[in-house]
Amino acid sequence: MSTKKSLSEEYLKGLWSENPIFKQLLGMCATLAVTNAVINGIAMGLATSFVLIFSSVVISSIKKLIPNQVRIAAYIVVIASFVTVADRFLAAFFPPISKALGPYVPLIVVNCIILGRQEAFSSRNSVGRSFIDALGMSSGFILALLILSSIREVLGSGTFLGHQVMGSWFKPWIVMILPAGAFITLGVLLAIFMLIETKTRKRSA
Amino acid sequence: MSLSARMVVVLTVVGLISGTFLALVGTMTEDRIEMNRQSEIQKAIIELIPETESSRKIYEEKSLTVYESLDENENTVGFAVYASGTGFQDVITLMYGIDPSISKMRDLLILDQKETPGLGAKIADEESFLRFWENRNCENPLALRKPAVDSPEKLAPSEVNAITGATISSEKVLGIVNSSLARLREIKEEGKLSSEGGNVN
Amino acid sequence: MDILTIFVAAVLVNNFVFYYFLGICPFLGVSKKLDSALSMGLAVTFVMTLTAVTSWMINHWLLIPFGLGYLQIVSFILVIAALVQLVEMFIRKMSPPLYQALGIYLPLISTNCAIMGLALLASLKGYGFIETVVFGIGSGLGFTLAIVLMAGIREQLDLADVPEPLKGAGITLIVTGIMALAFSGFSGMIK
Repeated sequence: MSTKKSLSEEYLKGLWSENPIFKQLLGMCATLAVTNAVINGIAMGLATSFVLIFSSVVISSIKKLIPNQVRIAAYIVVIASFVTVADRFLAAFFPPISKALGPYVPLIVVNCIILGRQEAFSSRNSVGRSFIDALGMSSGFILALLILSSIREVLGSGTFLGHQVMGSWFKPWIVMILPAGAFITLGVLLAIFMLIETKTRKRSA
Repeated sequence: MSLSARMVVVLTVVGLISGTFLALVGTMTEDRIEMNRQSEIQKAIIELIPETESSRKIYEEKSLTVYESLDENENTVGFAVYASGTGFQDVITLMYGIDPSISKMRDLLILDQKETPGLGAKIADEESFLRFWENRNCENPLALRKPAVDSPEKLAPSEVNAITGATISSEKVLGIVNSSLARLREIKEEGKLSSEGGNVN
Repeated sequence: MDILTIFVAAVLVNNFVFYYFLGICPFLGVSKKLDSALSMGLAVTFVMTLTAVTSWMINHWLLIPFGLGYLQIVSFILVIAALVQLVEMFIRKMSPPLYQALGIYLPLISTNCAIMGLALLASLKGYGFIETVVFGIGSGLGFTLAIVLMAGIREQLDLADVPEPLKGAGITLIVTGIMALAFSGFSGMIK
C-alpha cells in the first residue's frame, strides 16, 4: 500500500492536481450545458456535490457488504437515488432553477465523476477519507463551473449573477451563451491549464 | 450463503431501501411540485386577465389548453389560452388572454422559449413586441408589422410589431397564436368549449 | 410536431452533441479515427433506438399509471445498463465480426449521458411512441454525423502543427465549438 496522503492533501488534490474537469476531463456534458449563467453553474455544482458526497459516504460504509460482481449495479442505485432527491428538491423549492437546468440534473446520474470516484476511491477507502475525497472533488468541480460560467456570463450577457457588470459600452458576445461559446471557452481553459501545469513542472524539475 | 444467493439478496435489499427512501422523498415533494406547476399557470392567467377571480381548465389537447376566467359572479370574463409550437430553435410555449367572443386580444406572455439569446429571445421581454398586443382585433389572423412602430396607434387593428433582427422568432410566435385561435374557434363551433373539465383552483 | 420535423430537428437543428452537449465523453474519446467513429456512432444509434422504446414503455406502462414518477431516474439508468449488457451478449453470440467492430464500445455507452439524455428528453417532451422512436433514431444519427465529421477533421489535425497546450482535448473542443456554430445555421429550417 502506498503512503497515505494527509487529509488536507486528500482534499486539495480535487482542486488542482486531480481536478475532475480540467485534469480528468470528466463530467463535461453538465459543465458545458449549464454554465451559461453563474447561478446555474453554482446550482449544478451544489447538486452534483450533494450527490457525490452522500453517495461516497454511503458506498464507503457498505463496501464490505457488496459482492464484487454486483457492485456497479449497487452503486448506480445509490447514486440514482440521491440524484432523484436532488432533482425533486430543486423542482419543489427552486422551480426557476429546476427549469433552467432542465434534464441536466437527472443527468448527474451518468456524470462520470461520481461513478468514477466510487470505483477509484470510496470502494476502497474509509468513510472519513471518502468524505474528504468527495469534498475535494466537489470543490474542484464547483471551482471549474464557477470559472467557466463567470467567463461566459460576463462576456456573453454583460452580467454576473444577473447583475450588470459591464458598462453600456460593451456589446455582449452572444456566442458565449451559445453552445459554441461553451466548447471554445472550455477548450481555451484546458489549454491554459495545461500550460500552467507544464510551466510549474519545468520549474520544479 | 452461496455467491449468487448473496448477490440477489444484496441487490434486493439495496433496491428495497432506495425504493422506500425514494417513495418517501417522492411523496413529500409531489404536492409542492404540482403546486408550483399550477401557480405558474395561475399567475399567468391573472396577469393576462386581471379581473379573474377564479379560473378552470375547460379544454385540453396536444399543444393547446384553454382556461376559462370567471369573475366573482361566476361570469366568464375571458379565456386564457396555453399553446405551444415550433420556434426558430426549439419549442415556444406561450399564453394569451382573449375576450369571451374570441375577437379581442387581451395580452400575451411567453412562458418558455429557447430562441437565440439577444435576438430571438427578445420575444420574451421586448417591450415593443409584447406591449402592443392588447386590444388587437383577432377575428382575422394577426399579421406582423415590419419595421416595428413605436406606438399602438400606428398599427392596424390586427397588426403586431415584429422584432428587428428576430423576424423568424416573431413569425413563429404569430404562427402559434393564429393557429391556436383558429383551433379555438373550431372547438367553440363543436360546442366543446363548455364548462367541463377539472377545476384548476 | 410531426415525425419529419422531429427527425430533422434531432439530426441537425438540435443535434445531441452540438446543441444538447450530450455524449461528449465518447465524442472526444473515440473521434480519432474515422472507422472507429462510425462504429461508435452506429452502436450509439442502435442502443438509443432500443432505449427509446424501453423508456417509453416504462414511462407509460409503469411509472405514469402507478404514479411512480420519482422512480424515473433509477429505473431508466438500470434499464439502460441492463440493455447494454444484453445487447453486448447478444452481439457476441450472434455475430462475432459485428462484435469485433462494435462490441468494445458498448460498455462505454451505458454510462454515456447521450443514452440517458435521450430517455429523459423524450419523456420531457411528452412524445408518443412513434415520435419517441423517431427521436431516438434521429438523435443517434445526429450523434453519428457529429462524431464522423469530427474524426475526419481530427485525422487532418494530427498532421497539423498544434501548439503543445492545445493538443488533445483543447483543440478538439475549440473545433467542436466552431462546428456547433456551423450547425446553429440549421436553426429555423423546420416549419
